[in-house]
Amino acid sequence: MTKRRMFLRMITASLLRRRSRMLIALLSIAVGATILSGLVTIYYDVPRQMGAQFRKYGANMLLMPGDGEVLTADKAEAALSLIPEESVLGATPYRYVRLDMALNQQSFTAAGTDFEQVQETSPYFGVEGRYPVPGQREVLVGKEVAQSLNLRLNRQIDLTYQLAAAEGDAAKDWVPGASLSGAAISEFNNQPVFIQATLDEQGNIASLTVDASTQTDIGQQCEQESYTRQFIGKALPLSDADVDTLTGATMTSQAVREALNTARQEGQALSAEEYTKTFTVVGILQTGGEEETYLFLSQEDLEAVTREAGRLDVVELSVTGDAEQLDEYVKAISESGLGVTARLVKRVTKSEASVLTKLQSLVFLVTAVVLILTMICVSTTMMAVVSERRREIGLRKALGASDGSIRAEFLGEGMFLGLLGGVLGAILGFVFAQVVSVNVFGSSILFQWLLLPITVAVCMLIAALSCLLPIKRAIAIDPALVLKGE
Amino acid sequence: MILRMIRGALFRQKSKMLLIAVTIALGASLATGMLNVMYDVGDKVNQELKAYGANITVKPKDSSLLQDIYNVQGEDNTALQTSYLREDELPKIKNIFWAFNIVEFSPFLESSVTLPDGGNVKLVGTWFNHYLLADSGEEFYAGVKNLRSWWDVTAGEWLDEAAGNTENGVMAGAALAEKEGWQPGDTVTLQGAAGSQQAVIAGIFDAGGDEDEYLFGSLDLSQALSGRDNCVASIEVSAITTPDNDLARRAAQARNPRLALGADYDIWYCTAYVGAICYQIQEAIGNSTASAVRQVAESEGNILNKTELLMILITGLSLVGAALGISNLVTASVMERAQEIGLLKAIGAHDGPITATVMAEILITALVGSVAGYFIGFGFAQLIGQSVFGSAIEMKAQVIPIVAALIALVTIAGSLPAIRMVLRLRPAEVLHGGH
Repeated sequence: MTKRRMFLRMITASLLRRRSRMLIALLSIAVGATILSGLVTIYYDVPRQMGAQFRKYGANMLLMPGDGEVLTADKAEAALSLIPEESVLGATPYRYVRLDMALNQQSFTAAGTDFEQVQETSPYFGVEGRYPVPGQREVLVGKEVAQSLNLRLNRQIDLTYQLAAAEGDAAKDWVPGASLSGAAISEFNNQPVFIQATLDEQGNIASLTVDASTQTDIGQQCEQESYTRQFIGKALPLSDADVDTLTGATMTSQAVREALNTARQEGQALSAEEYTKTFTVVGILQTGGEEETYLFLSQEDLEAVTREAGRLDVVELSVTGDAEQLDEYVKAISESGLGVTARLVKRVTKSEASVLTKLQSLVFLVTAVVLILTMICVSTTMMAVVSERRREIGLRKALGASDGSIRAEFLGEGMFLGLLGGVLGAILGFVFAQVVSVNVFGSSILFQWLLLPITVAVCMLIAALSCLLPIKRAIAIDPALVLKGE
Repeated sequence: MILRMIRGALFRQKSKMLLIAVTIALGASLATGMLNVMYDVGDKVNQELKAYGANITVKPKDSSLLQDIYNVQGEDNTALQTSYLREDELPKIKNIFWAFNIVEFSPFLESSVTLPDGGNVKLVGTWFNHYLLADSGEEFYAGVKNLRSWWDVTAGEWLDEAAGNTENGVMAGAALAEKEGWQPGDTVTLQGAAGSQQAVIAGIFDAGGDEDEYLFGSLDLSQALSGRDNCVASIEVSAITTPDNDLARRAAQARNPRLALGADYDIWYCTAYVGAICYQIQEAIGNSTASAVRQVAESEGNILNKTELLMILITGLSLVGAALGISNLVTASVMERAQEIGLLKAIGAHDGPITATVMAEILITALVGSVAGYFIGFGFAQLIGQSVFGSAIEMKAQVIPIVAALIALVTIAGSLPAIRMVLRLRPAEVLHGGH
């Protein structure tokens, strides 16, 4: 029998023979390891989990148009792609316009938005009733508006969009996506030609469709893309010279020109009915803030009223990340040359950073205190278990065992216990952390694999260290005295 | 005789008993520290969450809608507001039932002023660090200095009533100051509807929001320039509140809580729900309507609940840890004394007295240990309170019986089975040393 096998046998035999006592030591090490791995896992996961909770304070970043630029959905999307997708919890587009309410001719601020995203970026919105469904002509009314007009759920209201005509230069009001539609009589056969066009940012024609079904042969060719393409990029109003350069039916072209010019001139003066839609109140919004004085429509419905597409005023973002990361995102977006500026909502970001830091250091300190105390508890138990075996040590010494071999055996035993207890405790600790995470935050935890070897190593170290002192004392005493029982 | 034996055991086996006492002290200190922190963490975190600003706004009853709606474009519509809160009623806020829970508040009065270059600017009249003496004798400083904790004063300094620079000083938002090219120390003439006044730019702040476009001055300045003496347009209040529960939600839906809640009304009124505090502010300030800012109030309740639950679970784990640690050691120490117990049995002692003696020894040790542990644990709680929140953790009386019961239970549970096990052994075997 080799020496090593004998050593192993002595360790295991002693563990098995003295079951109850070793069980106590093992249990105490396992408890220590549970607390170590459980608390450290929680400590590492708290910032992530708490950070998510703090996002309930609402948006912490805003995307706004840069100087002299217009924010569109495409640009916002491009800006958004500069932030890692998993960090963006919600992105809510907003378009604000003034809408008149036929009920009392008062005008209100209306916001066109995406209600699914609203629930992400503004989870504090309190809605009596429900959120509107896009395309169903439904409206969410701020509480103050509802109170002042005595609006109840399911009431029908007429909303009218007044183009901001009072602001002077009409061209300024043309916005990307603004659409024109109109008709003019063609001198060819005194039948109407219908047009529909959208404008780009400069107020030039961006797209055009012509309905020339009343015309014949050559006139009908005006419906073809090869014809309408000639208008793209031209500024309104179109002059005679513009028409002269066109290829295609002249009389129909004149009618198209006339229809476009009239539509452009009278665009803002379109009869109120055309900018009026009937909506059903499906929800009343309570926030305690100025949102209570707004109306909220789905983007789709608002665009149906205003007859413009794709224009946004601001995009509210809820982004996870610490102050430095957020600053980086802001910089990346502002320097991207997209014409989009990003701004942090300081009230939210700064407060979040300060409170989160405190919470983190709270959990850190608590973890540290608990760990230190638990480890001391573990080592006192180990010490008690080992010092009980003084007689055994004495007997071995009397039989001629060297100090070194006795020390090696006891240390080996202690470390073996540390190994077992550490593995057991690390698993239990993870279970505990998981229970905490599910109960408190309602989401599962990420297991730090590195923690397993660390826990086991710490446990073995503590077990070994706490064996050392009592062994040293037992060895130092004369075996005769120990055996006698003093 | 028993007394002598106990005393003998305690003193003769000093080092062993010391070990038990130390372990029990550690366990007790862990329990005390964690329980104290757990009970106080709600209040502490609540204080921290005040950084998010006001959770209650108070406005005059009917005019709020008009001004908010018509002021969107930034024109001077202040004339539209016809009813106001009264400045002389403001101290009453600190006299309501939950006065101690009101940690910050500040009045606001917006007016439109014209600059020498013809531009219109919104001047917000407010308090900065205004001294108040409540009826309760509490001294209180109210104002935006604490309410707007996220402002960065990038140049110059805060206006402060105590420093005396509010009389003709104003603070300018960063965006406005940049547009106008203002530096701290510059003098501007502000022309209001009812007069004009020279003001010195005392500081420039970066608020990261709409306020960057505004001027902030004293309430008196805004009142004088717009000719609205004693008028306040709104008050922002930051109060420590209890997270809403079913009762609070029922009250919130009712127009008249007194009628709707019936017998529960008193419970509701005397709990620091945000709704109850709003209700009391409405009672105190004439013609006012107070409403919760949901963005702050809701999230606060949520984060508070989560933090408390987290602390409860961590405390639970550490209590279990402490309990197992102690009972382990006690069991081990009893087993270690198998020989002594065997000897007692051999010379004819009955099981009862032996058990009583050993238990008494351990319990006395536990008592000493847990008293020491209580104070150490309290020290730990203070360490955590001071280093994390910068304030002391309140000493909760209910922690003492919990810790005492825990230690007693754990000590008995750890030693009794062990004693009985040792007693079952045959004395001869124990004395011989074989197992």
